This record gives sequence, structure tokens and C-alpha cells, in this order.
Amino acid sequence: MKKPIITFARWGNYTIAFKTIFEQLGLEVIPPEKTTSQTIAEGAKIAPEMYCFPLKVTLGNYLPALKKGANTIFMVQNVGGSCRQRYYGAIQEKVLKEAGHDINFLDFRATPKDIYSMIKKISGASLLQVLKAGRFFFKKLHLIEKIEKLAQFCRPREIEKGITDKILQESLLKLDELKKEKDFQELKKEILKRFSGIKIEKNKDLPKVGLIGEIYTVCDPTINFEVERKLGLEGIGVYREMDITYHIKKLIFPWKDWIIQRKINPYLKSTVGGHGRDAIYEMLHYIKEDFDGIIHLLPFGCMPEVTIRPILEKIHLESGIPFLSISLDEQTAEAGIDTRLEAFTDVVRNYHQYKSSKL
Amino acid sequence: MKCYLGIDVGSISTKLVLIDTNNQVLFPLYLRTAGNPIGAIQGGLRELNNKIKNHNPDIEIAGVGTTGSARYLAGVITGADLIKNEITAHAKGVCSFFPDARTVIEIGGQDSKIIILENGVAVDFGLNLICSAGTGAFLDAQAHRLGIPVEQFGEIALKSKAPTTIGARCTVFSESDMIHKQQVGHLTEDIVAGLCQGLARNYLNNVAKGKNIQPPIVFLGGVSENIGMRKAFEEALGQRITVPPYNTVMGALGVALLVKENPSPKTKFLGFEISDKDIRCTSFQCQGCPNRCEVIEARIEGKIVARWGDRCGKWSNLNLEKA
Repeated sequence: MKKPIITFARWGNYTIAFKTIFEQLGLEVIPPEKTTSQTIAEGAKIAPEMYCFPLKVTLGNYLPALKKGANTIFMVQNVGGSCRQRYYGAIQEKVLKEAGHDINFLDFRATPKDIYSMIKKISGASLLQVLKAGRFFFKKLHLIEKIEKLAQFCRPREIEKGITDKILQESLLKLDELKKEKDFQELKKEILKRFSGIKIEKNKDLPKVGLIGEIYTVCDPTINFEVERKLGLEGIGVYREMDITYHIKKLIFPWKDWIIQRKINPYLKSTVGGHGRDAIYEMLHYIKEDFDGIIHLLPFGCMPEVTIRPILEKIHLESGIPFLSISLDEQTAEAGIDTRLEAFTDVVRNYHQYKSSKL
Repeated sequence: MKCYLGIDVGSISTKLVLIDTNNQVLFPLYLRTAGNPIGAIQGGLRELNNKIKNHNPDIEIAGVGTTGSARYLAGVITGADLIKNEITAHAKGVCSFFPDARTVIEIGGQDSKIIILENGVAVDFGLNLICSAGTGAFLDAQAHRLGIPVEQFGEIALKSKAPTTIGARCTVFSESDMIHKQQVGHLTEDIVAGLCQGLARNYLNNVAKGKNIQPPIVFLGGVSENIGMRKAFEEALGQRITVPPYNTVMGALGVALLVKENPSPKTKFLGFEISDKDIRCTSFQCQGCPNRCEVIEARIEGKIVARWGDRCGKWSNLNLEKA
């Protein structure tokens, strides 16, 4: 067997953490490049046309890495529950092999046992090494999620415009370059210090918008045209619950799903796959928390999200909360998204003013 | 006399509206963009300047606002004080004329939208997605194919006694459906009326899907000139539809009102001279990162006045003096 050179699907800023696992195990890894319109076009060229959008993007992500010499692809199954994501591995392997790439495709389920045996097979590392790599992965992951949340908080309140994004990007870059676990604490301290150094208007009255929908599109700013950043710079507080930790927690603690089901019973009585139920739950939750708008992001052809969209629209009509659903695919033009976001921002501000005038 | 100018540059038409401090419309102007927004804006400003000179020379422009799909471009070359999206602009325009209006149907050249109003502000909106089925451009093309001037399209539709059914989910299907009906021997007026009904149905099923449509309903945009479409909407909704005055220039009117309400101490308007200057836009792909943004560069008389289109702000924040 050839020496494995690994690449994997890109997923927003979390890519940094995934890369760490392989590095810690002493494997050679070529991380996927940042998603651009070029990546998406390349992926869409070889992907089946009617398949959902993330399949095309992740295919496009592999291609530059394969060109640089990667020969092994990691693809996790069943990330979003029962939806077409389950077949990504099988389809991507077939598509890539048909396109003439000689690759070793590692398709595995998202259970600890499966992940462990897969990593063990490919790297030959000891149990201790695997556990250590896992620990470092979670450390990095938590920090990434934390600074994403901090950035969401600081962006609309910052006094010097653009400083939050500058610090966020620099922090992510440093985190990406960090190779040794023992230096992590120091870097974490430094990053958090920089974030707390951002001068903000503390008591600013902001309209709040909740981001809900399909986990991949919601979390990856390169796919959703940086919705979070654009709204933040317009002075809107953006919140989202979806991230990897949320997903992992749901895998470990199944009762989270029962709680969600109980809350959404008047609207939906069964699962529709993916994070369909979660979106309804989050929307109801945000309304209760007195939010001023909901943005629903979904990739074109996403079965669970398309199924629940009419339910979300119904909740929107009942409650009156501004609601915008954006379906993303390779045809989506940024200008169209910008016009919608601008108009939505105005609607959210109107709603916020109307609510505060009623008090 | 202080006046405010609103410019709405759409795909098919360019609209300019001049209002005074009492919200009275002095000059509405409707021109074809004809694929050249810069030329259309320059032509519009030239015409407006002539009108001002002839009628009321003491008019002073105190603020300019732009809207429409070419709002950034229009904003850069005229020196706008406000650049606003077309939804907010239309909502504003309608609310100043019809404070009770609840639903706005707007169908323009390439896009169609619905705006839901409550207490004079927009609370919900919808825009057509990927497909532009049922917009002005399609009606234009079909009128041309049937050999009738698009201005008479509506009147011909009204003559029909028994409209044929034409599927309008997608313009490609509806065109082949129309050809089929025509080859079977249906009257032109029946086909035209059927098409209007199909487009109204398509609009309600796509753009207006899931929206709370309440009367009074206002119909705007170039397509609202078409009486056949008005009737089709009235039948489909079972409601009376109002087509207000200035129905085709409402966006420009709205943005002029918005500028008037948020006046800046001194306008950034570059003056009517702009209509005789040489304005050029070029674009290049930034090679700085894998994003490969298309950066647009606007030059007036060879001097770069603005750059935009980059995500990171590397080009748009550049000091233009040094460039």
C-alpha cells in the first residue's frame, strides 16, 4: 500500500480542527482549500446534477488537494441523521474514480467505534496517541466555536469598523499553524485577550436575528456568502445554535431529540431527517426569546429543510416575526443574496422599532 | 427651491423622479436602459436638466438616492447620498401615497416581488428566485413573437371571451404551450388572455407563496401598465387591484422620499455635468486569494472614482488619490 496522504471535506473554520487530528497522528495531510466559486464550479462539473449542493462543494474541495498529491479521502457518514448525506461517500467515490482519480476512499460512520478503528487502520497509532489527538481536536474545536460566538457578539457593537473580523481571521490563522498541544494554553489566552480588547458599545440596543437551517450551510461562511458578517456589520446581532459541538452533543445524549420533539409536537409529529426538527425548535425558541428575525439557510435540494419550510412559513405568519429563507446552490448570485439581506435588515429594524414602541 | 432626486436603474428601464419638500412629484421620467445603464442615467440627467432649465431654473438638488439592480453603479457615478434596495424604496413610495395599502405586487423587467405592509412599513417580502418567468422581459418577447406591440397586449387580452389554459410554471413550457395552442387554431386574444392568467397564477404560486395577502392591493412596475395582467390578478385573487399614479416610477419616488427624510447637510451630488463626461467601468479579477473576486472600477474622465465588488475590502478601501 502507498503511503497515505490524506485530504477531507472542508467545513468552514472547523477544517482547522479536523486537520489537527491527522497531523497529531503523524499522517501526511493536504487540507482542502478555501471554497470559492471556482471550487464549486469544478465540483458541480463532475457531480450528479440533481444531488444536493454540499456534495458538489465537497467534491470541488477534494480536487485541488488530489492534484497536489493526496491519495486518501476521509468522508464521514450520517452527520445529519437520515438524509442523503449518508450516500455522499459512496457517490463521491464512484464519481471520483470515474473521473480517473486513483484514490483510497475511506467512508465511515460517525460512531466512536467506527472512527477509532478507521484511524487505527490508517495510521497504526496507539490508543494513547489517538486519545491525545482527539483531545487536541476538541480543544481547538471549542476555541474556534468560542471565537466565532465572540465575533458574533463584537461585530455589531465594535467602534472601529472591521477590527473584529481582522482579529478573527488572524486568530484562526494562528490556530491553524499551531502544531504542539503544550503551546495551546498560551495561544488561547492571547486570542481571548485580543477579543476582550475590542472596544465595543456595551449598551447598544440591537435587533437580533437567529440563523437556522441545515448545519453545513449555516456554519460555513464561504458557502453562505458570509451572512453572519454582513448582518453583523449592518448592526444586527446574529445568533446561531448549530455547530459541531451541538451535533456531537445530540449524538451522545439522545434525550435532546425527545425534548425537541415535545416542543414541536403541534407542528410536526415525526422526524423528517437531517436537522429538520431542530430548525422548527430553534425558530420557536428564538420567538420566545424575543428575537426580531429568522434567517433559514438551506442547500438546494436539501430534503429535510425543504420539508419543514412550509412549517416555518406557518410559524412566521402566526407570530409575525420577519422570516427569510435562502436556498443556496451553484447558481446563486451574490447580488441577489445581498439585495434580500439588505431588504430583510430594513424589515427587521422596522419590526424591532415597532415592538419597542409598543412597550 | 430644494428638491430631491430619486434614480431607479433596472434591467429594462431607468426611472428618475424629482420631488420637492412637500413630496410633490415635479418630473417623473421613464427611459429604456437598453443594456447601457451609464448611458441611460446620463441621458436621464440631461433630459431632467433641460426640463429644469425650461420650467423652473431655481431648482437646487439637495439630495440624490439610487435604487434598483444597478444602484451601486448609479450611486457612484451620480454621487448619491443614499443607496437603497428596491424593496424598501417601493414600500416607502407606496406608503406615502397609500398609507392603508397592505400588499404590493411589483413586476418589473427581470424580477417580480411582493411586499406586505403593516402600519406603513414593510413586514415581509418575497422576490422571484432563480427563474424570471412572468416578468416584463418574457411578456416583451411573447408580444414580439405574436407580432403585437407590447403596449396593446392588455387591450387584446381583454377582448377574449374564452381564454385558453396556458401552463406558466416555466417560460420555456409556456412558450411551447402557446405555440401548440396557436397551431391548433386558437384566437390570438384567447392565447394572450390565457398567458396573462397563467402568469398571474405563476406569480401567486411562487413569489407570493406563503405570504399573507390582504386588501388593499397595489400593483406596480412596468407590467402593471398591462390591463390584461391587472384583470388576471383581480380574477385570481378575487380582490380589487389598485394601480396608483406613478406606478412605473414608484421605486425612484420612494428613494427620493427616503433621501428627503434623512437629509445630509451637504449633498454629494456630482452635478448635471456628469451627463457629458466620459464614464467607463472596467473589471478585473483580484489574484490576492482563492476567492478571486471580480473588482469593478469606475472611472470618470479617466480618473478612478470608485472600486467595489471585493469581499475583503482591499480594493474598495484603497486611497483613490494614490491610485
